[in-house]
Amino acid sequence: MRHWMTAAVAATALIAAAAGDVWAQAGTIRVRLNSDIRSTDPGTNRDENTDAVVQHMIEGLVAFKEDATVGPMLAEKIAVSEDATTYTFTLRDGVTFHNGAKLTADDVVWAWKRYADPATKWRCAPDFDGRGLMKVTGVEAKDPRTVVFALAKPSALFLTVMARVDCGSTGIYHRDSVGPDGKWVQPIGTGPFKLGEWKRGEYVELLRNTAYAARPGRRDGYTGNKTPLVDRLRFVVIPDAAAAKAALLSGSVDLLPDTNNADAAELRKRPEVAVHETQTMSMSGILFQTKDPQVGDVRLRKAILAALDTTEIVKAVTEGEARPNASPIPTASPFHTAAHQAVPKQDLALAKKLLAEAGYKGQAIKIVATKRYPTSFDTAVLAQAMMQAAGINAEIEVLDWATMLDKYSKGDYQMMSFLYSARLDPALSFEMITGPKATQPRKVWDNPEAIAMIQDALAVGDRAKRQAIFDQLYARFQADRPMIVLYNGMETGVTRKQVKGYASFVIGVPRLWGVSIE
Amino acid sequence: MRAYIAKRVAMTVPTLLLVSIAVFVLMRLVPGDPAQLMLGDQGDPAQLDQLRRAMGLDRSLPVQYLIWLRNVAHGDLGRSLANDLPVLPLLVERFQVTAGIVLVAVAIAASIAVPAGLLAAWRQNSLADLAIVAGSTLLLSVPSFWFGLLLLLLFGVKLGWLPVIGYVPFVEDPWRALQYTILPVVTLALIESGVITRMARASTIEVLRLEYITHARAKGVPESGVLWRHALPNAFAPTWTLIGLILGNLLGGIAVVETVFTLPGLGRLLVDAIFARDYPVVQGCMLLAILVYVLVNLVIDLLYPLFDPRVTAE
Repeated sequence: MRHWMTAAVAATALIAAAAGDVWAQAGTIRVRLNSDIRSTDPGTNRDENTDAVVQHMIEGLVAFKEDATVGPMLAEKIAVSEDATTYTFTLRDGVTFHNGAKLTADDVVWAWKRYADPATKWRCAPDFDGRGLMKVTGVEAKDPRTVVFALAKPSALFLTVMARVDCGSTGIYHRDSVGPDGKWVQPIGTGPFKLGEWKRGEYVELLRNTAYAARPGRRDGYTGNKTPLVDRLRFVVIPDAAAAKAALLSGSVDLLPDTNNADAAELRKRPEVAVHETQTMSMSGILFQTKDPQVGDVRLRKAILAALDTTEIVKAVTEGEARPNASPIPTASPFHTAAHQAVPKQDLALAKKLLAEAGYKGQAIKIVATKRYPTSFDTAVLAQAMMQAAGINAEIEVLDWATMLDKYSKGDYQMMSFLYSARLDPALSFEMITGPKATQPRKVWDNPEAIAMIQDALAVGDRAKRQAIFDQLYARFQADRPMIVLYNGMETGVTRKQVKGYASFVIGVPRLWGVSIE
Repeated sequence: MRAYIAKRVAMTVPTLLLVSIAVFVLMRLVPGDPAQLMLGDQGDPAQLDQLRRAMGLDRSLPVQYLIWLRNVAHGDLGRSLANDLPVLPLLVERFQVTAGIVLVAVAIAASIAVPAGLLAAWRQNSLADLAIVAGSTLLLSVPSFWFGLLLLLLFGVKLGWLPVIGYVPFVEDPWRALQYTILPVVTLALIESGVITRMARASTIEVLRLEYITHARAKGVPESGVLWRHALPNAFAPTWTLIGLILGNLLGGIAVVETVFTLPGLGRLLVDAIFARDYPVVQGCMLLAILVYVLVNLVIDLLYPLFDPRVTAE
């Protein structure tokens, strides 16, 4: 037996001795993905991981800056006509695709036509073809460096929606990105990295674009200087959070882009890693079904709000990382002014008074939550305890994410502890929760006046006028109380100390240009 | 023998058909919509309808099932709703990973557990028996994800001897493949060896009490001869059945181990597909798992007469 054990230890040591150079590669940054990407076709078959990878290869005419406003990316300048219905983009000179071809206005028109083609299934097509936010009536190449977009009527969100990450930033790719049959092959973009190898279920490897034409200046969100500083990026699929943490500590990966709060608190104490945090524009809160016989009564909804110590809930579920925010406008938005900063205080006496006025008789009220996002479940548990303390018979129903999303989209709940992805304009933040329930059951707030005000905000470009609309909207939101907004998400990235220049970003997906490894 | 094999193989067809109906119906009963998951909290009802149409989810369930069944009969398991890849090559690729790990792990588990069970039975109630029973009980009680994480933290993080994540196919680079598969194989082998040891011990104890063993001893056959020539062949048959069941079960997917060690195997594919409501992939995985289970057990049954001549394949 002793011989066997000696042999086993010797064999392991021998393998280990040779293992040192196996998984570390110079000039490579290895990034964790919690699931594989869905495709490389921008804005079509996508999720957050897909967006994160694709954004390194593809660039649009415009992109989000560090402060979540929109700035030019492939465009050198953008001229808007006086009636705000014509946008003229002048392309930057010297930009080439990954295959060496020069970027021209014809390429922009070709890419746009592909996006607009229903066969592409671009998720943002309805926003531009008149079904949603605006209608683009024509796109034309005036000369090799000038593209003109014509809109049916003015829209304050034309550039914002164009820059949206889930729209693939409306990235411009070369026509050889699709095969002769019109099917997507691979992205041939202008980004700082190009596709190396996608080994499904294992990793996606991107290679440095050595001919990358960087904008001058500094890195600025998804625009600015995007010079690649490493030869290779490897996005490694590690589904299990504990395995991902072990991989980081053992040096098998260099970056965990989004770590949960409990792990972040632990990792902060480790000398070999650095933690990078930023507040994002995603939104967590508790939704009410205003058509429900019980919580349809605004007095009961306000009683529930009064029963909750929202500051304490936020502190507990985010380990003190996030700030409470009661407004649908994210704290990082320049429109989050004084009118949006007050956070409701717990008031049990008021809660009981409102319950009595609403004629509440102890009927069960169910909060739907998911453990896929631990903060959703934790929020529901705390809310349940606080509601029970106020005499409200709260119950929790835990569902998997797909089931909860299904119930959300059908409006099939009384209360739901939900997380919204980031919207980068306040009009979109309000729009995501507001609308007619008859045709869009997922909408939380069904108020015709609010819907009309949001339409105004979508069309108006003047900053002061928009601020006034948003302040009025928030006042009505508080009066109707269709949901309890709790906080905006935190993006907590953790890198090994050898990684230099990494910073989490308000949009909440990793950026690896301008980042090096020692 | 041929008639027996043909009969057993033919019996798998109704089994697979019933399983396919059950999986199809159950998956559709679970709330959740792959198109909705793709759109997330954004996207309006019109977009949702458009995507559902594009995925073929707007048709009635019987029509969807019959289309799928017709395609399966032609060897086409459909395309993944999540990434539009054909399901069959995906299953083959992922099954190779799972099979590689499972076959080695079960072989190691059996070669540790059978002698250990034999030893424990032979030295019943001794210190060695106590240690083996305690060890095997511990191993079969420990959750595989916890044990895997423990090994990962020890050999990957603390000692830095072995890689924590990743996978390299054996045909691509045998040396690196070995480094990446040691921890999952050891995890699986140790966990499974617990139950095999218990079975080997119990069946050997039963055999050691029989009269012919006493007779062999009375004849003066050395104890090692009694054990290896007389006890083992008779005690091994139930253990062999158990090994077959374990093998068939594990080949259908080792989702937990694959998740902890980031192996791109069948189990992880199935779990991901369930969460994504990727119906064609779930149905394909389940069909493959059942088929493998049935075939492995058929092979085990056919090999049974080698260990127990009283059994014939008739």
